[in-house]
Amino acid sequence: MSIKISEDKFFERVDKGINNSFMRKAVVEAQGRLEGRKTQTTEELGNWEEWRELSEEIRQHTLENLDYYLDQFVENVAKQGGHVFFAEDAAEANEYIKSVVHKKKAKKIIKSKSMVTEEISMNEALESIGCTVIESDLGEWILQLDDHDPPSHIVVPALHKNKEQIRDTFVEKRKYSKSADPNELAQFAREQLRPDFLEAEVGITGCNFAVAESGSISLVTNEGNARLATSLPKTQITVMGMERIVPTWKELDILVTMLCRSAVGQKLTSYITGLTATKEEGDVDGPEEFHVVIVDNGRSKILGTKFQSALQCIRCAACINVCPVYRHVGGHSYGSIYPGPIGAVLTPLLEGYDDYKELPYASSLCAACTDACPVKIPLHELLVEHRRVIVEQEGKTSFGEKLAMKGFAFGMSNPSLYSIGTKAAPSMINSIAKGGEGSGPGPVKLWTGIRDLPTRTGDSFREWFDKRNSNKEGDES
Amino acid sequence: MTTIYNKDKFLNRIADQLGRKRRTEPVTLPEWKKLPQYEVFKDYTQDQLLDEFTNHCKNIHTSVVVTKRETLKESFHEAIKDLGGESIVTWDDERFSTFGLSEALQEQSDNGVDVHVWKSELGDHNIKKAEKANIGITFSDITLAESGTVVLFSGEGKGRSVSLLPRTYLAIIPKSTLVPRMTQATEKIHEMAKENGRMPSCVNFISGPSNSADIELRLVVGVHGPIQVTYLVIEDE
Amino acid sequence: MKVSLFLTCLADVVYPASVGRSTVEILERLGCEVDFPKKQTCCGQPAFNSGFHREAKDVAKHMITTFEHAEYVVSPSGSCTTMLHEYEKLFEDDQVWLDKAKALANKSYELTQFIVDVLKIEDVGAEFYGNVTYHTSCHMTRLLGVQEAPMKLLKNVKGLTFTELPNKQQCCGFGGTFSVKMMPISEQMVDEKVQHIEETKAEVLIGADLGCLMNIGGRIDRKGKPIKVMHIADVLNSKL
Repeated sequence: MSIKISEDKFFERVDKGINNSFMRKAVVEAQGRLEGRKTQTTEELGNWEEWRELSEEIRQHTLENLDYYLDQFVENVAKQGGHVFFAEDAAEANEYIKSVVHKKKAKKIIKSKSMVTEEISMNEALESIGCTVIESDLGEWILQLDDHDPPSHIVVPALHKNKEQIRDTFVEKRKYSKSADPNELAQFAREQLRPDFLEAEVGITGCNFAVAESGSISLVTNEGNARLATSLPKTQITVMGMERIVPTWKELDILVTMLCRSAVGQKLTSYITGLTATKEEGDVDGPEEFHVVIVDNGRSKILGTKFQSALQCIRCAACINVCPVYRHVGGHSYGSIYPGPIGAVLTPLLEGYDDYKELPYASSLCAACTDACPVKIPLHELLVEHRRVIVEQEGKTSFGEKLAMKGFAFGMSNPSLYSIGTKAAPSMINSIAKGGEGSGPGPVKLWTGIRDLPTRTGDSFREWFDKRNSNKEGDES
Repeated sequence: MTTIYNKDKFLNRIADQLGRKRRTEPVTLPEWKKLPQYEVFKDYTQDQLLDEFTNHCKNIHTSVVVTKRETLKESFHEAIKDLGGESIVTWDDERFSTFGLSEALQEQSDNGVDVHVWKSELGDHNIKKAEKANIGITFSDITLAESGTVVLFSGEGKGRSVSLLPRTYLAIIPKSTLVPRMTQATEKIHEMAKENGRMPSCVNFISGPSNSADIELRLVVGVHGPIQVTYLVIEDE
Repeated sequence: MKVSLFLTCLADVVYPASVGRSTVEILERLGCEVDFPKKQTCCGQPAFNSGFHREAKDVAKHMITTFEHAEYVVSPSGSCTTMLHEYEKLFEDDQVWLDKAKALANKSYELTQFIVDVLKIEDVGAEFYGNVTYHTSCHMTRLLGVQEAPMKLLKNVKGLTFTELPNKQQCCGFGGTFSVKMMPISEQMVDEKVQHIEETKAEVLIGADLGCLMNIGGRIDRKGKPIKVMHIADVLNSKL
């Protein structure tokens, strides 16, 4: 995988999404459940807004001092026997990871869920040198078996698939012979993957938050796969986006709390694991060798811009779970491994506008995302900011729209022109309204394609107001 | 010999983007404006915390047994029976003898249950035993009332696999280890980190059995980790 | 109390007199003296939200000047009132206009917000017989933060039978230019909204934003559903 997951054009992807009735039903149900559980666990705290403010403050402070905290983190990792590689881009990260794997002569690699490794296409890089890379998160494993179907949600990657489709994949790829009951499917995954955990020479994980003060990394999971991947293989490689760090364990507490509650409505997930470098003397399990790869891949150029708050993201998907657009088009429509509102903000920042110029417009700016975000990223405002950049810096808006907006502004700041417009409007609107489906010029046609226009009868407000006032004056004199 | 590659280039770029020089002097944390984490179960007694803990465990598919020291052995045997007996792997932890449970384990062994104690000198053999075991047993180092969580520090004799590889998991929880929430646990860990010694290589916060909702968002209990969990709380004060 | 009406361009240009007229009549009945600055145009939101901030700035300056004299600015639209509050963002580097923008924001209110929070009135003496439901528009509830006011007022309307709209927090799919730029997505959103409105069995859908109402109403009409769409001002101005 890479950030880009499709060669189709935006509206083709949207069309596929809208016509995928299973996926849409699944998303509607998932949004209902996830959002319901989140609301429950956040409301019972009674002071969720205070938690959000604290989290925002922590994330902002950390980003403002990111070089310092990364420095502190890596020095602590090294002090405790870990190796550190700072990677400017995907290629650098993959070269290093390949070199570690090569030195270990490793053939089998077990992975726990990690978005950043998807982002840098790490699996493909390792496969290119003859390694077998096994995704051990149940959702990711399903997608991997199904010929690398892309994820459609950052927390529940196989959300778009139903259990029958999953059973069919297991039957076809792994000679599965039981039912489509999720319990049986999961039990099968446990049996299939256990030997892989025991045999793998290298375990690769992502990192929810690194802790600067102790050189630790933390992993937030429910299945236990990340624990296995960091307990059994002799070598552990952790890949993290450079912004995923907290100053101390005290801030880790807050952000883990926010992540668990916002992502899945749990107080804590089944496993929160804090790992510090290699195993100690006397430890039996745990890695003998530990590497952490810190990835920039376009993140640093977001710092110091109006988009900096996007790096506050803790990947909880709360914005995705409330988004009315995601609800109807699903994750694949975004064309990126990062879907939903945060994806629409982040993807163009990491990958540029060329392939993703529609994403900032794929939002009604309803601000449900901004309200849901546990670290208070003003997501809808960042989408508007993207639009501003597209207009003012990238010059990617159409000539027609530019002309329309310039005309709009000219008309709206000139009352006399506006007044001509108000007078001409009723007859124009009425004639278009009469035309029915798809009538009218340009954008109006898109409006009337699916909706009627209101009909204008009788006086306009201005006419009524004038008449009334002249009557009043008449009465008074 | 450890290595850090590309640090200065990478961190200088960050400082440049932030429009300033590299921060090399220690950064002090600001006084956070809000501290809501201390409001949770503030001033609760151990009894109140235990109530909250027990209640929440119902939501996370975890059985809680509360017992007195006098009845501990009995409850321990009962819990092992409920989890299906057969084979056990435990930490090498002096608390087992402090609470009289070494004796209980001996009794289990005498009754034909395969009891393995995690001994560092046995190396990978421990992992093989844990992988085959039906029950893993550890003590809880810190216990979180809010989330039904046991916190385990790894170390000599305290393998990560004991609470992970067996089919089921039994945690022994001295009531005195109960604190309101993660906040109090991370504060302790923060103190450990400040002392600048070596951290335990692995700290686990475990809240019930492993689970997944990756298939149609339906909860499946028991995926890669234990599929059944019991907490045995000892009224130790 | 002196109040200046900001009518909004939809009520001014697209819709007939009623919404503005109801707004004026309610405010007058509640003891306000209403003035209508004739130079007013549009809040500029279409340009702002499309990223045309230079253009939006021109419109904002015009509106700020037009309402400079006002004691209170009241508007029958949560979304357009929100936009008046957003002007500050356009003038971050221009202290003079920033101060003016802040002054405008501080005195601008959505109609129901003004009645409940400023006039401290929750019963406007209206009567309206029928089964209704209410669409909470996004900008008004989330950005302007007005959640209770419309419900408080509707609760005191005599004769009204109210059913809450399922998934009321969900956007109707208007979103200004979104409704045309992203027409296929907007269509799915408004269809779901119409479906939920039907589930309430209401005869009338009430809202406080003509943008949303134009979208939902336009879709209802296109589908030939027997549901009437009304602005809250018209409901609050109803009498037998």
